[in-house]
Amino acid sequence: MSKSNKTPFRIALHGMDSRTYKTMEMYLKGPCRGAAVVVEDAEASIDMIDADHPKARDILDARKAAAPGRPIILLSLQNLQLDNTYFIKKPVNVQQIMAVLDKIKAVAEARKAAAERTKIAQAPAKIPDEPKPPMDDKPKKMAMDVYVNKAKAPKTGDAAEHHKASKHHSAMQLNEGGFTAFLGTLSDIDFDDEVQLLTACYDPRQYFLGYVMSAYKTANLQSRVLQLCSIWKPLTIFPESQEVWIDADDKQTRAFAGMPLGKGSVGKMILTAVDSTTAIQRAEDKFQDMGAFVWKLAIWTSKGRFPIGLDIQGPVYLERWPNFTRLVITPDALRIAALLVQAPRTPLEVAGLLHVKPQYVFVFISACQTIGILKQSERQADAVIAVEPTKKPKNEGLLSKILNKLRGA
Amino acid sequence: MSQYKIIFTGPVGAGKTTAINAISDVPPIKTDAAASDMTKNRKASTTVAMDYGVMNLAGGEKIHLYGTPGQERFDFMWDILTNGGIGLILLLDNTRADPFQDMRFFLDAFGKFIDDTSVAIGVTQMDLSSTPSIEDYHAQLQGFGLKPPVFSVDAREKNDVSLLVQALLYSLDPGLAG
Repeated sequence: MSKSNKTPFRIALHGMDSRTYKTMEMYLKGPCRGAAVVVEDAEASIDMIDADHPKARDILDARKAAAPGRPIILLSLQNLQLDNTYFIKKPVNVQQIMAVLDKIKAVAEARKAAAERTKIAQAPAKIPDEPKPPMDDKPKKMAMDVYVNKAKAPKTGDAAEHHKASKHHSAMQLNEGGFTAFLGTLSDIDFDDEVQLLTACYDPRQYFLGYVMSAYKTANLQSRVLQLCSIWKPLTIFPESQEVWIDADDKQTRAFAGMPLGKGSVGKMILTAVDSTTAIQRAEDKFQDMGAFVWKLAIWTSKGRFPIGLDIQGPVYLERWPNFTRLVITPDALRIAALLVQAPRTPLEVAGLLHVKPQYVFVFISACQTIGILKQSERQADAVIAVEPTKKPKNEGLLSKILNKLRGA
Repeated sequence: MSQYKIIFTGPVGAGKTTAINAISDVPPIKTDAAASDMTKNRKASTTVAMDYGVMNLAGGEKIHLYGTPGQERFDFMWDILTNGGIGLILLLDNTRADPFQDMRFFLDAFGKFIDDTSVAIGVTQMDLSSTPSIEDYHAQLQGFGLKPPVFSVDAREKNDVSLLVQALLYSLDPGLAG
């Protein structure tokens, strides 16, 4: 953070005993040269929590609920990666604190600029002051064999990515009517036959999807803009704004997503850190929400097959509904979601109950698993105890008529 | 013939009137008036009684779409409105100071109606304020023991409103055949 910044951050401290509280207060005033001051909760613009406190989780939840949107800094001896928080590893030092404060400042400025730009809907927003890169950005262990080119480390932080408004256009380009053409590949499979069952599954790691998911995790871990280069078009991942940029339309992406990658292709997969300042100067209509992108990618990779590693004889359930208004909707997705939110069921059971093709269930659970909301039930009881059938409402006929009306039938 | 209703509720400026307009077959009857209380900080006019729209169904049946007035001083009308309702659409404005507090207020206020039927939640203005996120709303809802559909919604978009209502209906019965 610039030393010329005259307005100190106002920080509220949580989960600290009186001694630690006082020490932190003096640390911010002294070694940090007044970059931040400790204030009462009501006056604060940032919350700082000692994440090693026994009730840290409760404190965190309470702070998120009490002041949504307020930045939260977590201090811990352990490496933490929690959504919507900033992390400083103990023992705390000045550089770490200043780097996080820089980041918070850059994010706040970018959000403000984006909001103003959206309101006035005019010329491109001004790029904010370049924040310094976070100090603790050592590359973490990667989930898959994707190479990170450290030689091209970014010269600046990636806060400029916050300038972009989220783009959800591509999620709406297709509807469920367009899927029947390529989801019909599993007809006449005997799901009791283990050999035939193998033809109904796929391994995401053998497709572009697997590499995108790995790169996504790495970008999130490192909090930096990364570009995944392959034999196809480069994909740039912006972890702060949870967006991707790719110069390809849905038809092109769908075609590539469905191709198994041979050894030759895998060798050309390179993950490179990108200068965020240049990364931001791209056609805005090609930015896509990350979740919506991987959702689509999973659908086009699955093509009605289920992901390997998922036991289709075991019950699965949804932790929550997908945000359907911003996602491509596969056939019968809303019905399947409604059923799997209620209780765990096996995929084949879902197909039977709703009288839908198994591949419609498989493609849906593939997409849900990719965005992390589908879980395999681990409770034995879920597999043993039959789930009660859903109660039929009295006005079932009327509800069906409303559905037909809404769907334009 | 029975009177079937879908109720749209939520705080001032959340888009209830606009959402009804998006799916109604007739121009909605509005009962807006110039805002004269705290509401005027958010919009020039507001719904002081209710909004009303209609969906005409096959066979001559109608679904009545009612929007509750956003101000809490009209909450005496809510019980009357929900009588005979199929379910609740709760719209929340993500740019308000504390949208979670709004959500808690309306879930409490319509608690019995939700228990008897179902609820679907639409979060509006996410293009202006991306936080709290949809995931944050789901986390808050765990405290209520509810797992309703929560979608980001542009109330002007028929498709968004339609999907939200469809999700409400499937919550009532996933086996519904459209």
